[in-house]
Amino acid sequence: MHSFGYRANALLTFSVTILALMCAIASLSDNLNSPSPTAQVQVLNINRFQKKTDGDDEVSMSLNVSANLESLFTWNTKQVFVFVAAEYDTPKNSLNQVSLWDGIIPSKEQAKFSIHTTNKYRFIDEGSNLRGKEFNLTMHWHVMPKTGKMSADKLVMTGYRLPVAYR
Amino acid sequence: MFGQMDWQGQKLAEQLVQIMLVSFAVMALLVGYALESFQSMMLIYAGGVALTTLITAPNWPFFNRHPLNWLDQSEAVKHPKPKLLRT
Repeated sequence: MHSFGYRANALLTFSVTILALMCAIASLSDNLNSPSPTAQVQVLNINRFQKKTDGDDEVSMSLNVSANLESLFTWNTKQVFVFVAAEYDTPKNSLNQVSLWDGIIPSKEQAKFSIHTTNKYRFIDEGSNLRGKEFNLTMHWHVMPKTGKMSADKLVMTGYRLPVAYR
Repeated sequence: MFGQMDWQGQKLAEQLVQIMLVSFAVMALLVGYALESFQSMMLIYAGGVALTTLITAPNWPFFNRHPLNWLDQSEAVKHPKPKLLRT
Protein backbone atom coordinates (compact mmCIF):
# COMPACT_ATOMS: atom_id res chain seq x y z
CA MET A 1 0.00 0.00 0.00
CA HIS A 2 2.09 2.90 -1.27
CA SER A 3 -0.10 4.30 -4.01
CA PHE A 4 -0.44 7.85 -5.30
CA GLY A 5 -3.42 8.44 -3.02
CA TYR A 6 -1.59 7.20 0.06
CA ARG A 7 1.42 9.41 -0.63
CA ALA A 8 -0.74 12.47 -1.39
CA ASN A 9 -2.71 11.94 1.81
CA ALA A 10 0.40 11.53 3.96
CA LEU A 11 1.87 14.69 2.42
CA LEU A 12 -1.28 16.71 2.96
CA THR A 13 -1.62 15.61 6.59
CA PHE A 14 1.98 16.44 7.37
CA SER A 15 1.83 19.79 5.56
CA VAL A 16 -1.24 20.88 7.54
CA THR A 17 0.45 19.90 10.81
CA ILE A 18 3.42 22.07 9.88
CA LEU A 19 1.08 24.89 8.83
CA ALA A 20 -0.50 24.87 12.28
CA LEU A 21 2.97 24.98 13.82
CA MET A 22 3.97 27.92 11.60
CA CYS A 23 0.86 29.84 12.65
CA ALA A 24 1.65 29.14 16.29
CA ILE A 25 5.21 30.45 15.83
CA ALA A 26 3.90 33.54 13.99
CA SER A 27 1.53 34.13 16.87
CA LEU A 28 4.32 33.72 19.44
CA SER A 29 6.51 36.15 17.52
CA ASP A 30 4.10 38.92 18.50
CA ASN A 31 5.56 38.70 22.01
CA LEU A 32 8.78 40.17 20.63
CA ASN A 33 6.90 43.39 19.89
CA SER A 34 6.51 45.81 22.77
CA PRO A 35 4.14 48.53 21.54
CA SER A 36 4.35 52.14 22.70
CA PRO A 37 1.23 53.82 21.33
CA THR A 38 0.46 57.46 21.98
CA ALA A 39 -2.88 59.26 21.93
CA GLN A 40 -4.29 62.70 22.57
CA VAL A 41 -7.91 63.73 22.71
CA GLN A 42 -8.87 67.39 22.88
CA VAL A 43 -12.35 68.60 23.67
CA LEU A 44 -12.65 71.54 21.30
CA ASN A 45 -16.14 72.65 22.19
CA ILE A 46 -19.24 71.61 24.13
CA ASN A 47 -21.85 72.08 21.41
CA ARG A 48 -24.86 71.14 23.45
CA PHE A 49 -25.43 70.18 27.08
CA GLN A 50 -29.01 69.53 28.00
CA LYS A 51 -31.34 67.56 30.17
CA LYS A 52 -33.53 65.42 27.92
CA THR A 53 -37.29 65.29 28.51
CA ASP A 54 -36.90 61.96 30.28
CA GLY A 55 -34.45 63.53 32.74
CA ASP A 56 -31.18 62.11 31.40
CA ASP A 57 -28.26 64.42 30.69
CA GLU A 58 -26.97 64.57 27.13
CA VAL A 59 -23.77 66.18 25.88
CA SER A 60 -22.67 66.87 22.34
CA MET A 61 -19.03 67.84 21.91
CA SER A 62 -16.43 68.45 19.25
CA LEU A 63 -13.33 66.33 19.63
CA ASN A 64 -9.94 66.17 18.11
CA VAL A 65 -8.68 62.59 18.33
CA SER A 66 -5.07 62.01 17.37
CA ALA A 67 -3.07 58.88 17.93
CA ASN A 68 -0.05 56.99 16.75
CA LEU A 69 -0.85 53.28 16.95
CA GLU A 70 1.77 52.15 14.42
CA SER A 71 3.69 50.18 17.03
CA LEU A 72 0.68 47.91 17.57
CA PHE A 73 1.08 46.52 14.07
CA THR A 74 3.26 43.50 13.46
CA TRP A 75 3.35 41.14 10.49
CA ASN A 76 0.67 39.10 12.24
CA THR A 77 -1.80 41.95 12.73
CA LYS A 78 -4.96 41.95 10.67
CA GLN A 79 -6.56 45.10 12.01
CA VAL A 80 -7.00 47.20 15.12
CA PHE A 81 -10.32 48.32 16.50
CA VAL A 82 -10.09 51.52 18.47
CA PHE A 83 -12.65 53.47 20.45
CA VAL A 84 -12.71 56.51 22.71
CA ALA A 85 -14.89 56.27 25.79
CA ALA A 86 -15.86 58.86 28.35
CA GLU A 87 -15.43 57.33 31.80
CA TYR A 88 -16.73 58.80 35.03
CA ASP A 89 -18.17 57.71 38.34
CA THR A 90 -21.62 58.38 39.76
CA PRO A 91 -23.04 57.67 43.21
CA LYS A 92 -24.78 54.60 41.79
CA ASN A 93 -21.99 53.17 39.63
CA SER A 94 -18.29 53.43 40.24
CA LEU A 95 -17.52 53.21 36.51
CA ASN A 96 -19.66 54.51 33.66
CA GLN A 97 -18.33 54.10 30.13
CA VAL A 98 -19.85 55.86 27.16
CA SER A 99 -18.36 55.23 23.75
CA LEU A 100 -18.01 58.52 21.85
CA TRP A 101 -16.09 57.54 18.75
CA ASP A 102 -14.68 54.38 17.20
CA GLY A 103 -12.80 53.26 14.16
CA ILE A 104 -11.21 50.28 12.44
CA ILE A 105 -7.60 50.63 11.39
CA PRO A 106 -6.85 48.12 8.63
CA SER A 107 -3.14 48.80 8.15
CA LYS A 108 -0.03 50.29 9.68
CA GLU A 109 -0.09 53.12 7.14
CA GLN A 110 -3.39 54.32 8.58
CA ALA A 111 -2.38 53.88 12.22
CA LYS A 112 -1.17 57.46 12.64
CA PHE A 113 -4.15 59.75 12.43
CA SER A 114 -5.73 62.94 13.63
CA ILE A 115 -9.48 63.29 13.35
CA HIS A 116 -11.70 66.24 13.99
CA THR A 117 -15.17 64.96 14.87
CA THR A 118 -18.23 65.39 16.96
CA ASN A 119 -19.13 62.49 19.18
CA LYS A 120 -20.22 59.70 16.83
CA TYR A 121 -22.45 58.06 19.45
CA ARG A 122 -24.67 60.00 21.81
CA PHE A 123 -23.16 60.86 25.16
CA ILE A 124 -26.10 60.27 27.49
CA ASP A 125 -25.90 59.67 31.22
CA GLU A 126 -28.41 57.36 32.87
CA GLY A 127 -29.57 60.10 35.15
CA SER A 128 -28.64 63.68 35.76
CA ASN A 129 -25.07 63.45 36.98
CA LEU A 130 -23.07 65.26 34.32
CA ARG A 131 -23.11 68.90 35.46
CA GLY A 132 -19.61 69.86 36.54
CA LYS A 133 -18.57 66.20 36.27
CA GLU A 134 -14.92 65.39 35.98
CA PHE A 135 -14.35 62.60 33.47
CA ASN A 136 -11.61 60.66 31.72
CA LEU A 137 -11.35 60.08 28.01
CA THR A 138 -9.91 56.63 27.49
CA MET A 139 -8.65 55.27 24.23
CA HIS A 140 -9.26 51.53 24.11
CA TRP A 141 -7.96 49.27 21.38
CA HIS A 142 -8.39 45.66 20.41
CA VAL A 143 -5.69 44.10 18.29
CA MET A 144 -6.96 41.39 15.93
CA PRO A 145 -4.11 39.16 14.78
CA LYS A 146 -4.11 36.99 11.67
CA THR A 147 -3.44 33.97 13.88
CA GLY A 148 -3.54 33.76 17.63
CA LYS A 149 -5.20 35.49 20.49
CA MET A 150 -6.86 38.89 20.39
CA SER A 151 -5.44 41.40 22.82
CA ALA A 152 -6.69 44.69 24.21
CA ASP A 153 -5.22 47.64 26.03
CA LYS A 154 -6.01 51.27 26.74
CA LEU A 155 -4.63 54.72 27.41
CA VAL A 156 -6.38 56.81 30.04
CA MET A 157 -6.41 60.59 29.61
CA THR A 158 -7.54 62.47 32.68
CA GLY A 159 -8.52 65.99 33.57
CA TYR A 160 -11.64 66.76 31.54
CA ARG A 161 -14.57 68.54 33.11
CA LEU A 162 -18.09 69.24 31.89
CA PRO A 163 -19.61 72.71 32.37
CA VAL A 164 -21.52 73.39 35.55
CA ALA A 165 -24.58 74.72 33.70
CA TYR A 166 -26.68 73.38 30.82
CA ARG A 167 -26.33 75.25 27.55
CA MET B 1 2.53 6.90 -12.63
CA PHE B 2 0.16 6.08 -9.78
CA GLY B 3 1.40 2.64 -8.85
CA GLN B 4 3.67 1.27 -6.20
CA MET B 5 7.29 2.22 -5.72
CA ASP B 6 9.96 -0.24 -4.77
CA TRP B 7 11.03 -0.39 -1.12
CA GLN B 8 13.97 1.98 -1.49
CA GLY B 9 11.73 4.36 -3.47
CA GLN B 10 9.14 4.44 -0.70
CA LYS B 11 11.76 5.28 1.89
CA LEU B 12 13.20 8.00 -0.33
CA ALA B 13 9.74 9.49 -1.02
CA GLU B 14 8.88 9.68 2.67
CA GLN B 15 12.20 11.24 3.58
CA LEU B 16 11.82 13.76 0.76
CA VAL B 17 8.37 14.78 2.01
CA GLN B 18 9.65 15.38 5.53
CA ILE B 19 12.82 17.21 4.57
CA MET B 20 11.23 19.36 1.87
CA LEU B 21 8.17 20.41 3.86
CA VAL B 22 10.16 21.28 6.97
CA SER B 23 12.75 23.27 5.03
CA PHE B 24 10.09 25.16 3.08
CA ALA B 25 8.33 25.96 6.36
CA VAL B 26 11.53 27.28 7.94
CA MET B 27 12.32 29.31 4.82
CA ALA B 28 8.77 30.70 4.66
CA LEU B 29 8.87 31.72 8.33
CA LEU B 30 12.23 33.46 8.00
CA VAL B 31 11.30 35.33 4.81
CA GLY B 32 7.84 36.24 6.13
CA TYR B 33 9.24 37.57 9.38
CA ALA B 34 12.05 39.45 7.63
CA LEU B 35 9.68 41.09 5.12
CA GLU B 36 6.97 41.52 7.79
CA SER B 37 4.64 39.86 5.34
CA PHE B 38 2.36 37.06 6.46
CA GLN B 39 1.23 36.69 2.87
CA SER B 40 4.69 35.87 1.52
CA MET B 41 5.09 33.23 4.22
CA MET B 42 1.86 31.58 3.11
CA LEU B 43 2.75 31.83 -0.60
CA ILE B 44 6.21 30.37 -0.13
CA TYR B 45 4.84 27.49 1.93
CA ALA B 46 2.00 26.84 -0.53
CA GLY B 47 4.56 26.75 -3.35
CA GLY B 48 6.67 24.34 -1.31
CA VAL B 49 3.74 22.01 -0.71
CA ALA B 50 2.86 22.06 -4.43
CA LEU B 51 6.45 21.30 -5.44
CA THR B 52 6.73 18.52 -2.85
CA THR B 53 3.50 16.98 -4.13
CA LEU B 54 4.77 17.10 -7.69
CA ILE B 55 8.05 15.42 -6.75
CA THR B 56 6.93 12.78 -4.27
CA ALA B 57 3.35 11.81 -5.07
CA PRO B 58 3.66 10.45 -8.63
CA ASN B 59 5.63 7.25 -9.09
CA TRP B 60 8.63 8.71 -10.92
CA PRO B 61 11.22 6.35 -12.43
CA PHE B 62 13.90 7.40 -9.92
CA PHE B 63 11.81 5.81 -7.16
CA ASN B 64 12.16 2.46 -8.93
CA ARG B 65 15.86 1.95 -9.28
CA HIS B 66 16.00 -0.99 -6.85
CA PRO B 67 13.63 -3.62 -8.26
CA LEU B 68 13.15 -6.80 -6.24
CA ASN B 69 14.72 -9.68 -8.10
CA TRP B 70 12.86 -12.83 -7.19
CA LEU B 71 14.51 -16.17 -7.83
CA ASP B 72 13.23 -18.17 -10.76
CA GLN B 73 10.60 -20.76 -9.93
CA SER B 74 12.84 -23.58 -11.14
CA GLU B 75 15.14 -22.90 -8.16
CA ALA B 76 12.41 -24.19 -5.85
CA VAL B 77 12.31 -27.47 -7.73
CA LYS B 78 16.09 -27.79 -7.69
CA HIS B 79 16.34 -27.04 -4.00
CA PRO B 80 13.23 -28.48 -2.32
CA LYS B 81 12.32 -27.67 1.25
CA PRO B 82 14.17 -29.95 3.66
CA LYS B 83 11.85 -32.49 5.26
CA LEU B 84 12.02 -33.66 8.84
CA LEU B 85 13.20 -37.22 9.07
CA ARG B 86 11.24 -39.55 11.27
CA THR B 87 13.32 -41.83 13.39
